[in-house]
Amino acid sequence: MSPANSREEVLEAAANLRWEVGPDLHDSLMEALYTDAARISDRVLSRDDARPAFDLDRTIDRLVTSRWLGFPIMMLLMAVVLWVTITGANVPSSLLSSLFLETLHPALKQAAAAAGLAWWLDGLLIDGMFLAVAWVVSVMLPPMAIFFPLFTLLEDFGYLPRVAFNLDRWFKMAGAHGKQALTMAMGYGCNAAGVVATRVIDSPRERLIATLTNNFSLCNGRWPTQILIATIFIGSLAPPALAGLVSAGSVMAVVLLGVGGTFLVSWGLSRTLLKGEASAFSLELPPYRPPRILQTIYTSLIDRTLIVLWRAVVFSVPAGAAIWLVSNTHVGGASLAEHLIQGMNPFGLLIGLNGVILLAYIIAIPANEIVIPTVLMLTVVSAGLPGVGEGAGVMFELDSASATLGVLEADGWTLLTGINLMLFSLLHNPCSTTLYTIWKETGSVKWTAASALLPVAMGFVVCFCVAQAFRWLGG
Amino acid sequence: MNELTGPLLAVLAALAIYFLFRPGRGWLERWRRRLRLSDRVLSEDALKHLYHCEYEQRVATVQSLSGALGTPVEKVAGLVQRIEAGELATSEGASLRLTPKGREYALRIIRAHRLWERYLSEETGLKEPDWHKRAEQQEHRLTSSEADALAARMGNPPFDPHGDPIPTQRGQLPPRRGQPLTSLAVGERARIAHLEDEPEAVYAQLVAEGLHPLMAVQLTHVSAERICFRAEGEEHVLAPIVAANVAVVPLPREQPVEESLETLAVLEPGQEATVVGLSPNCRGLERRRLMDLGLLPGTVVAAEMRSPVGDPTAFRIRGALIALRGEQAANIRIGSRRQVA
Amino acid sequence: MKPNPPPGACEICPAHHSANLKRLGVNMDRYHFVVALAGNPNTGKSTLFNSLTGLRQHTGNWPGKTVTRAEGGFAYQGSNYKLVDLPGTYSLLSTSTDEEIARDFILFGQPDVTVIVVDATRLERNLNLVCQVLEITGRAVVCLNLMDEAERHRLTVDERSLARELGVPVVPAAARQGRGVPMLIDMIHQVATGGFVCKPHRIQSEPPALKRAVSLLVEKLGAAFPDLPNARWVALRLLEGDARIEEAVRSGELAGLVRAPQGAATAAPAEGAG
Repeated sequence: MSPANSREEVLEAAANLRWEVGPDLHDSLMEALYTDAARISDRVLSRDDARPAFDLDRTIDRLVTSRWLGFPIMMLLMAVVLWVTITGANVPSSLLSSLFLETLHPALKQAAAAAGLAWWLDGLLIDGMFLAVAWVVSVMLPPMAIFFPLFTLLEDFGYLPRVAFNLDRWFKMAGAHGKQALTMAMGYGCNAAGVVATRVIDSPRERLIATLTNNFSLCNGRWPTQILIATIFIGSLAPPALAGLVSAGSVMAVVLLGVGGTFLVSWGLSRTLLKGEASAFSLELPPYRPPRILQTIYTSLIDRTLIVLWRAVVFSVPAGAAIWLVSNTHVGGASLAEHLIQGMNPFGLLIGLNGVILLAYIIAIPANEIVIPTVLMLTVVSAGLPGVGEGAGVMFELDSASATLGVLEADGWTLLTGINLMLFSLLHNPCSTTLYTIWKETGSVKWTAASALLPVAMGFVVCFCVAQAFRWLGG
Repeated sequence: MNELTGPLLAVLAALAIYFLFRPGRGWLERWRRRLRLSDRVLSEDALKHLYHCEYEQRVATVQSLSGALGTPVEKVAGLVQRIEAGELATSEGASLRLTPKGREYALRIIRAHRLWERYLSEETGLKEPDWHKRAEQQEHRLTSSEADALAARMGNPPFDPHGDPIPTQRGQLPPRRGQPLTSLAVGERARIAHLEDEPEAVYAQLVAEGLHPLMAVQLTHVSAERICFRAEGEEHVLAPIVAANVAVVPLPREQPVEESLETLAVLEPGQEATVVGLSPNCRGLERRRLMDLGLLPGTVVAAEMRSPVGDPTAFRIRGALIALRGEQAANIRIGSRRQVA
Repeated sequence: MKPNPPPGACEICPAHHSANLKRLGVNMDRYHFVVALAGNPNTGKSTLFNSLTGLRQHTGNWPGKTVTRAEGGFAYQGSNYKLVDLPGTYSLLSTSTDEEIARDFILFGQPDVTVIVVDATRLERNLNLVCQVLEITGRAVVCLNLMDEAERHRLTVDERSLARELGVPVVPAAARQGRGVPMLIDMIHQVATGGFVCKPHRIQSEPPALKRAVSLLVEKLGAAFPDLPNARWVALRLLEGDARIEEAVRSGELAGLVRAPQGAATAAPAEGAG
């Protein structure tokens, strides 16, 4: 008998035996395996039956999942993490920004001038690319370097699965997985990191839902936009004593709107686009382990912070170039930026925004951090304000909120523009770093496109409705 | 105006003709294809019926075909003629028989149907009621090479989710398994192998009883009027004529009798119980996941804590703490509950 | 029942040759042995990987952190070892991508040694995977990790009986503290070089119908592939309809998996294999 024949015979025999063994082969095999496992385990494992008076794991579990304390503990920990991140990041952020913008930038300009660099090369490299990178690094790095290690410490300790356990019911109602609470929280630091974190969700449908909705968590790059706009447009409506409270409240409202959006879109996706995707819930609550602080800080810096930062830097270099180019390429007497702004203005105004904002969101797609500097620069370009800013294509920020308000109002901004910018900052496509990450994680162009188009469409609709309501109310 | 009307009409007419008769995608062509498709669907369904009759050793007639297809007898007569013209079946008196070519054709359709049901049950999140409906359509669309590719990807599954065998690539099917439920003696245990889906009224009664393939049953009482048996902890009573439509495979006697009325869902924190079995409703990815975690007959499971909002519940399963949602726990049957010492 | 060795016992026992150990990180162009690292999710596999190779992969208290396959190396007693960290899985019998990667590597990648990392606090569930791996390969070492946690939960594991039951070496460890790592390296070395001959445990409790089908198929496999070391496992996979295994049978690739008896490879370590 030839070898090939005997091989075919094996397959033939297997095919026939499969009918005989019946449909529950997998079940009986698993049973056999676990019977053996249990028998061996019984023989070799002994438990000190004198139950300790105090079982630490069980006590912690009782506490963090208790009806009365479970949610307050969760809120408290989240608040502490956010507070430490925000206050802790202030100092290094301003240090970095003064180093990059006030020391390095002029120094580079001088060096370029001394070297006799062509004006356009100097502009493209230093005003375009360098400034974009500088902005991204100084805004992004410090909070991420604080937020991620803190989050990772909670993760190493074993607390995060308990959060998923506490919140799962709400997520289940939206067709999602409790662990999505954690990827959402991660998204408040950085959406790209939040998307990577969806790996812990091992059910295909729920993981896609978490990936597609992560953008509804307001990321670190969008907080400054929200806070600035809320302060100058909404806070200023209230009496000075209450201004801080009112603007903080309006930012919180946007955050809650994002949470609402997450649940709504998750609910919709699980019943339409993702109905047919396989789904299996499982959530293991691992034993608590003392976190190793130094190692955690080291690995989370390397793994999360630096990788995400590197991606953002890579993407912001071409964006810086694009920003500089559109404002310095002149066609028919006006810069490309002015043409584009003019072209998009009618649509922008229709949905209560303007051409500047739309253009800024298009060319600043790599990082939300540079949206406000780009908006300011483009506003100066389009409104033709002399003496403000640093020149065409050079992003800048103003020292005081009132000066910013002055610039924006000179270009025709109203309260409506402010409100809609806050909404649009929540509801627009994820930055290109996040999109790239989504593409890497899902391996699908379709889902990447869906995660970009869905929020933009929602943003347009919501802004349009708000604009109509606002105008109708005579605002 | 008049000068323009003529050319305009000509252009419109040309467009209309183009859209109607466009080769391949014209409206007329599409309409004809749809007619042909529904003709094809009907004859394929007819072949399936003939095959089922043959497999179950029943006689197929124009009347039984008309009942199975839900089509008037007059229309079926035309259909039978077409099938015979295609040399797919022959008639001997009133009874219809498949030719070898027709049998091969029928098996191809059944293979596509059962494979698609298997696919939907194992690899998508769709629920039971959707499977059959979708497979009824998909069976006419899948080419045999597509069906083969699908089968290969799923590891050539031998059975569909209802416990029925899937014909192989070469059209092989094992002989019918099982014996009628009525042939069991009192006290004997067996597993349901197949539920006969014709006549429809009887099948509907079986489904309403909550019976499904792979369910373990034990006969408790037999008389001329009724047959009583337990399945998954519930008492069922069927008329013998109905019970005859349930095919079962006897189980060895030495296995302990599964006695359970409850599921993990009723276990309160602080209680424990032994798992009796996973419901056949839990399948695909989810079933494999739960079994991997060690949820199998004989496993002792203790409920440890409940989420502050009531669901999920964390269970101690073979040393690990695993949270399960209420509807998952409801698919896991348990023996009697007891307080953890 | 034998008490656990006190922490630090490994550091004084003769198996400890830390002077011989060199962590090679990812620099391992030339290696003599391939070691696969398998185990349940969240058993400290990645931590162990890091302490063996000196690399710093991120690990977390979450099941399912390692998604991509990581590779690294170490050198011990003049031999270079390439270490492959497989994705953590509960089983090797289901159809997820992770399980396929792990399963294919253990079967077709033919590692010289497979280290199965086991969480001592959830022994029963972890043994399920151990039994599955032992069906595929007998050249295995069980690393009984998280012993510190087991002690905290007052669990005692008699590793000698466990080794006897499983037929492969069992090394208690606490990878986070580095406990047991030198001993593990020595055991890997012994199994790789044939110093320890394994007699792996095989599944015993399958129902009669399955047992019959498997033995019939094993007989047929024996005719087609004499000396196949894991014929029973191949038979089980064929009964489950594993397309990859069917292909390996059809093409005859399976014949390539019949390897020389354990230890024979040590006579002339292949320089720079792969």
